[in-house]
Amino acid sequence: MTGSRVLQRKIVDAVALVFAGAATLFGLVWLFWILWTTLQQGIGALNPELFTQMTPPPGSEGGLLNAFYGSAVMILLAVAIGAPIGLAAGTYLAEQGRYTRLGAVVSFLNDVLLSAPSIVIGLFVYEIVVVSMGHFSGFAGALALAMILLPVIVRTSDEALRIVPDQMREAAFALGIPRWKVTSQILYKASLSAIVTGVLLGIARIAGETAPLLFTALSNQFWTSSLNQPLANLPVVIFQYAMSPYDEWHELAWAGAFMLMLFVLGLNIAVRLIVRRRKRP
Amino acid sequence: MNDQSATLDQPAYLRFEPNQEVVPETATQLSIRHLDFFYGRAQALHDVNLEIKANAVTAIIGPSGCGKSTLLRSINRIYELYPDQRAEGEILVDGRNVLDRRYPLSDLRRKVGMVFQKPTPFASSIRNNVAFALSYYEKLSKAEIADRVEDALRQAALWDEVKDKLNQSALGLSGGQQQRLCIARTIAVRPEILLLDEATSALDPISTAKIEELIHELRERFTIMIVTHNMQQAARVSQRTAFFHLGELIEFGKTRDIFTNPRVPRTQDYITGRFG
Repeated sequence: MTGSRVLQRKIVDAVALVFAGAATLFGLVWLFWILWTTLQQGIGALNPELFTQMTPPPGSEGGLLNAFYGSAVMILLAVAIGAPIGLAAGTYLAEQGRYTRLGAVVSFLNDVLLSAPSIVIGLFVYEIVVVSMGHFSGFAGALALAMILLPVIVRTSDEALRIVPDQMREAAFALGIPRWKVTSQILYKASLSAIVTGVLLGIARIAGETAPLLFTALSNQFWTSSLNQPLANLPVVIFQYAMSPYDEWHELAWAGAFMLMLFVLGLNIAVRLIVRRRKRP
Repeated sequence: MNDQSATLDQPAYLRFEPNQEVVPETATQLSIRHLDFFYGRAQALHDVNLEIKANAVTAIIGPSGCGKSTLLRSINRIYELYPDQRAEGEILVDGRNVLDRRYPLSDLRRKVGMVFQKPTPFASSIRNNVAFALSYYEKLSKAEIADRVEDALRQAALWDEVKDKLNQSALGLSGGQQQRLCIARTIAVRPEILLLDEATSALDPISTAKIEELIHELRERFTIMIVTHNMQQAARVSQRTAFFHLGELIEFGKTRDIFTNPRVPRTQDYITGRFG
């Protein structure tokens, strides 16, 4: 090879590296900018009271305890509703429905649900739950979040099971084991980390959903543990407080936004760790 | 092995050990009659007729795509996992046609074990891998399961290597150990017939030698059918050999005859490496 060819390749390599590095930096800059801004604006409210006190009335000090609690309860309930149904449907798609027409139809409908705007889902739950019950409730909020979570889990568990090689299925079925046992004891085990990853990503997806909660859980200035009443939650509190004219509320909204970012970032880091562990032999 | 007598026309693997000259005439374990196999519209096997003898090793050889794996996959009906695949004809085990849909799959697959090309340990402990199918078929106490697991691992010549780590993940074993674990898992339920579908082709030579040695020992207790691309292997481990080409059974006979004195020119061409 001639010297100029080598030089040319080195230049191309350097230019590509610079562009790739710049693109990475571009993405990271926004992430850290957002984290920095929320931290900077919310620092005044980032203190122990944030986690021990209720959302305050205008002009007084307080925290976000009821909002954290409400969000946690609704997310957990949404997972409790959405994950089993989603896993069951994903299992159907990957195992029984793989070669059937019904499977293809269900898969298509799931994609539609996956891309349905969350505000539409909020309106839907408002119409069938909130209107018929006559009031906003934490239960309605959890249901709306579950409907957003459901198609995510259907898709990820379907894909998680499809990644399990057919040889594994053949080896298990060749032992004469019935399908339910092969699925529950071999295929789920083989795809466990991918399924858990899907659930965590689904939680990250619903953690910041605001529109569906505005129509369903609304919010609550006070503490309640009842799912039958309007329930405070982080996204709607951030929304209301950020739109308010009060400085204390602004600060709390920023602090809430910072915590939400940290939570989603933490979930994504957890997913990375799980995926990395899975790749190790 | 002494290779000095090998010539271009007669490779070393065509010379036989004395013990392979005696092929016991055992009972017929498996009769394949007029077997046709289809992948969708493509026919992969054409009117195959084959009698497999008990307690002997039958090798199935032939070039890629000749239908040898398909033949094995018909016998335990594993092809039924895929809706576009079907087999027609008869495969008689103990006088009953196992291709009949009324023949219960779990009975069939308990009787006919299969080991695949790629080792497929389940993501579980070594013990659970072996005990998994066992505890489905039989109501056994913990102690009995432990005995059967040890027994199967000993038969698969793996016991000494894993006896101190039965609770560790099977995924931590080497490829050769994983494949022997798959064999142990399969023989733990005490099948009559063992199907080995290129079971050593993903393994290194030492692991391959271990498994070939194992096949020699297992022959006493099982009827073994082995699909292989490796003709040396077929010559080493089998008593009878069936040569397939383009979905048809071309020639079937004692391994020694097939390799040293084939009747059909196509067999001769294949075993001397003229195509394949």
